[in-house]
Amino acid sequence: MDNTTITANGTLPINTTATGSSANGQATGTPALLVEGLNVFYGAFQAVSNVAFDVQPGEIFGMLGPNGAGKTSTLSAIEGLLNPSSGTIRVAGFSTREEPRFARACMGVQLQATSFQPELTVSEILQLFSGIYGVDLSREQVMGVLSEINLREFADRRFGQLSGGQQQRISLVIATIHNPRLVLLDEPTTGLDPQSRRQLWHRIEAMRDKGHGILLTTHSMEEAESVCDRIAIIDHGKILTIDTPQAIIDNNRDRPEVIAASRKGKITLEDVFIGLTGTAIRS
Amino acid sequence: MSTTTTSIADNRTTTWPAAATPSINIPSPSSVFATLLRSDLRTQWRNRRASVMVVLLPLIILVSWKGLVDKLGGAFVLSNCITIGLTAIGLMGYSNSIARDRDKGIFQRLRVAPVPSWAVMASRITVQLIMIMILTTLVFIFGAQIDHIYLTATGYIFGFAMSIVGGAVYLGLGQVVVGRIMNPETVNATSRLIYIAFIMIGMFGELGMLGKEIGEMVKYSPYGTVKRIVSAGLTPGTWNTDTSISLAITLGYTILFTWLGIKWFRWSSR
Repeated sequence: MDNTTITANGTLPINTTATGSSANGQATGTPALLVEGLNVFYGAFQAVSNVAFDVQPGEIFGMLGPNGAGKTSTLSAIEGLLNPSSGTIRVAGFSTREEPRFARACMGVQLQATSFQPELTVSEILQLFSGIYGVDLSREQVMGVLSEINLREFADRRFGQLSGGQQQRISLVIATIHNPRLVLLDEPTTGLDPQSRRQLWHRIEAMRDKGHGILLTTHSMEEAESVCDRIAIIDHGKILTIDTPQAIIDNNRDRPEVIAASRKGKITLEDVFIGLTGTAIRS
Repeated sequence: MSTTTTSIADNRTTTWPAAATPSINIPSPSSVFATLLRSDLRTQWRNRRASVMVVLLPLIILVSWKGLVDKLGGAFVLSNCITIGLTAIGLMGYSNSIARDRDKGIFQRLRVAPVPSWAVMASRITVQLIMIMILTTLVFIFGAQIDHIYLTATGYIFGFAMSIVGGAVYLGLGQVVVGRIMNPETVNATSRLIYIAFIMIGMFGELGMLGKEIGEMVKYSPYGTVKRIVSAGLTPGTWNTDTSISLAITLGYTILFTWLGIKWFRWSSR
């Protein structure tokens, strides 16, 4: 493997070069993610219906929806974990159907469950995934990356021995270890305490500032309002609205169902969400 | 520096920070395989207590059957121990590790990376092949040191090769178990049940203690065919038509189990 350029403090610069086959086909302005006409069926049940959206470089795009709304199915189709019935998904211009390995090389993923071998140490997991993504990291560079997330002293600790927040930080750093155009975060702050959540938001915003396009799913309206540049509200497999959080509030504040959902007089994103998706508890 | 881009979803124009245009790195499949194998070997090493348990029973049998070597023959004893070890590796070691990692989402995490699916499985199977080699070597060493069973060089080499061929049957069977059953605890219970059934029925059936019909069934079962080819491999001079038929049946079992195991296998248990 060739050496990947890493800065003195161990952070990965935006322009890295590494080994293996490579392509530089992305023109500036190509969306980090483009989804068009996406349909996903489980047998006769349609989980995702004609979903279309895009995520631009340097944008945090949030996907909100009740349980079973189609968020995970949409995300799984983008990740390549399920085959959509129809539609187009392009990651940094690469079709997930026709060029799946290139598309996957352009995305970093943080799954809901922190899914790494618990027997491996933190530094071993970093080396495993850097190898998989073709980024050659020396021990010093691994330590530098861990210093960035305040986990340097945990380098030789087994992953299974870390706290939930520490595991999330490792998971996030692995999602971006190859400097992807698109980062997918599936409910990244679930189970975190407020301090860890705030810290994670800062990290996500820092990723945006570096030019990554970020798609995150969340149940937290506070998170969506605080972090996301744009959000899509999805229910029953269909996108109900896409816009900035404030624009969504402004465009829907006069709807009777939104006013009915309002608890404190002031219309919030949660009121709009409840107004659009209903009050019934989903399974 | 900034770039103006148009969001197609709502047809608005937004100004974003300059998009980075990094190279797209896809390491070669062999490089990915080497990385995965290194990681899987580390995991196996950290779980070495479980690995010791897998090879313990064959070695205990080898020691406790010392008095039977003259009566049954060295090749019979060694092949029995190797077959029991192969069953344990395929059914207990392989299927349980796959079921556990699938349940934890470890495979899903790998599959969202640019990793060919075959590399994930090939790495796991390579680890088990190494386990088969370790088991066979230990049985040969213990057989020589404790039971004074010595083979010809051809016998050791051929026996080694037949162990790997036989091990493939049980890895295939392990794949079937983990393909049909999603829950790791049920996989564990099922593989133990099959393991015990194979040992009890296979060993006693072959010794003729369960009657002629059971004995005939065992002869053509995965236990019987594998034991026969390993035994004949250890003493190549005894290889005959029956052994060739057993080898053909063994290969047939391997193909069948592997095909079913792959067909039924799901990467996620959810």
